[in-house]
Amino acid sequence: MTDTDTAEIGMGVTVTKTGETGAFGGELLTINFGPHHPSTHGVLRLIVDLDGEQVKRLKPVIGYLHTGIEKQMEALRWQQGVTVTDRHDYLSPPINNLAYALAVEKLMGVDVPPRANALRVIMSELTRLSSHLVWMGTSGLELGAMSMLMYCFRERDTILDMNEEISGYRMHTSYIRPGGVMADATPRFLDLLEKFIVAMPGHVDEYEDLLTMNPIWRSRTIGIGRLSAEDAKVLGASGPMLRGSGVAWDLRKQMPYSGYEGYEFEVATSDMCDCYGRYLVRIKEMRESVKILRQALDRLPDGPVNVDDRKMLPPPREELETSMEAVIHHFKLFTEGYSVPPGDVYVAVESGRGENGCYVVSDGTHKPRRVKFRAASFVNLQPLERMAMNHMVADMVAIIGTADTVLGDVDR
Amino acid sequence: MGLEALAESMGQNILTTSLGKLIGWGRGNSVWPAQFGLACCAIEMIATATAGVDIARFGSEAFRASPRQSDLMIVSGRVSQKMAPILRTIYDQMPEPKWVISMGACASTGGVFNNYALLQGVDKIVPVDVYIPGCPPRPEDLLNALMILQERIKAQGITPRQ
Amino acid sequence: MISENLIVDRGVSAGDNWITIAAESAHEALSSLKEEGYRLLVFLTCVDHLADSSREWPSRYELVYQLRNMDSLEQLRVRAFVDGDPPHVDSVSDLFPPGNWDERETYDMFGIVFENHPDLTRILMPDDWVGHPLRRDYPVGGEVVEFSEEHETWQTAPDKA
Repeated sequence: MTDTDTAEIGMGVTVTKTGETGAFGGELLTINFGPHHPSTHGVLRLIVDLDGEQVKRLKPVIGYLHTGIEKQMEALRWQQGVTVTDRHDYLSPPINNLAYALAVEKLMGVDVPPRANALRVIMSELTRLSSHLVWMGTSGLELGAMSMLMYCFRERDTILDMNEEISGYRMHTSYIRPGGVMADATPRFLDLLEKFIVAMPGHVDEYEDLLTMNPIWRSRTIGIGRLSAEDAKVLGASGPMLRGSGVAWDLRKQMPYSGYEGYEFEVATSDMCDCYGRYLVRIKEMRESVKILRQALDRLPDGPVNVDDRKMLPPPREELETSMEAVIHHFKLFTEGYSVPPGDVYVAVESGRGENGCYVVSDGTHKPRRVKFRAASFVNLQPLERMAMNHMVADMVAIIGTADTVLGDVDR
Repeated sequence: MGLEALAESMGQNILTTSLGKLIGWGRGNSVWPAQFGLACCAIEMIATATAGVDIARFGSEAFRASPRQSDLMIVSGRVSQKMAPILRTIYDQMPEPKWVISMGACASTGGVFNNYALLQGVDKIVPVDVYIPGCPPRPEDLLNALMILQERIKAQGITPRQ
Repeated sequence: MISENLIVDRGVSAGDNWITIAAESAHEALSSLKEEGYRLLVFLTCVDHLADSSREWPSRYELVYQLRNMDSLEQLRVRAFVDGDPPHVDSVSDLFPPGNWDERETYDMFGIVFENHPDLTRILMPDDWVGHPLRRDYPVGGEVVEFSEEHETWQTAPDKA
């Protein structure tokens, strides 16, 4: 191949001739998208073989955001690891915290108090909402609905304000920790949550007014990126990718955790199996999340938000002034940390993207032997070739968009 | 003959300094960032462009998809060893004069990830003008950094990198 | 049904059922488990037991396959111990398509060679990277943090390596 067979056409896109002939008599071209192409939702690189404008082969190249999170966790103590879990799927930090916290608690045989469980559910649902809002805003933007970004980020900001109120941080809250949660909900948080629950269904109606019957949105998504229920199951897809193909699989229903069995909600599914179906699933999920929030807030139990175990969590500030034992516990906890009994455990929770799991191996020391994150996006990205096959390049953008991969989650 | 070379040949005089002020004012109020998101900070960067914070008030709402049309690179997030050469290529593709904002702890120092996979600070491969602390910084922090950069650009005159 | 002579050991860890199989029979055992109904490979990974004194390990690397039956909601963890440099094991990506990338990741991070894998290349690290980062004798890396005692231990391999 000579140099003239490869040309760079800007935006990180290069074109190479393959020498093969396509169905329309033209030559197949290899196109390189990314990894900084604006429509690939982060640093995803795609190598696509095109016949005319039709996708004939597609190979995602990942790893451009590989952060070494799993290695880093091995070098951190059990309670320090929470900070790092926030940052792998950066659109749903509390859900990542939850998977890790549940795994550590299961290994230690600890049960958290009911109020902690309810607060965990509240934070998980708020996160699911904010993650879906970011998805809808950015996907809308990519398919030409600029105003969606403005509407969605407005509500996302109110969720982040609540995060800030309860944990002091907008995005990476580290709020859910092994043994409970960081702190109790403040009255202002509950007040903000009440207002949010009242306002949110109206906002979802607003989004639906803008998109559901919008002819441009419909023609860009209906029939695009089909993934049959059987394929979705075989390829291991989870979350809205699987439910958008008509499979009613939601870990909150199928394998409940943190008291989800006590809440009434429906599993959103759609039989359309295409990008539009996945959009409908997410809209429905947002409505169901608001329902769960309503129930959780109405019957928020009183009581402590942490386990009463001085070996695992620091003593309250007042105790440090009167009790020598408390000072010792405090010192030990912050110099050595606690150790977890040897063994391994896998816990999966449902994030906005699908099954977000955490596999933890302990060798009995105060640092994990191995922490593996089962990332939903990593698995959901693999059917991309099957979905994009024989579609146009522009449809590929819609397909990547509705797969809702977070590259931090893919590469970890 | 470029503008910079012309200014150099003329030396410092009343014409070039007044022209420098005008050009600095123009450049400072129309800094176009490259649309280059990496990780968590990219989401806050998008939030900066939305109605609530509105970066358009400072003339920087035009996020350009092509590096050849942009003046500012906001390194928004962690830079992995695999991404580093690509980031440098994008920087090289941007026309002079160009500026870099290192957004967040990861881009500035590696943040909480002190390990094999990440570049410990993007200033190892590109010159950085403004660093923003935070993980991720608030959108207001990004606006503040932009304002600091604007002050600097306005003071620089015709030939920024000297 | 998986025949009993394929199972070396079985037990329960923190409520999760697991079985151990011989690494040579990994493909055979997993295909019979698939026929049994465990049709979803949730994840595949590896654990490096270098200098782990919590108990006696049969070999250094432990491969972990987490399987799920989506109808009966049963989960099963399958372990296989492998050794050697590099360790070899049969690929299961033909049985479970999601295993394709998981195996590439395990190869990238631990250097385990999966036989008959369609495209066993590095997936997360650059193609020219040397070493396998998640092995325990690979340093965490990064830069020295001044006045931190722990950093010394991160940078070096454990004594028993």
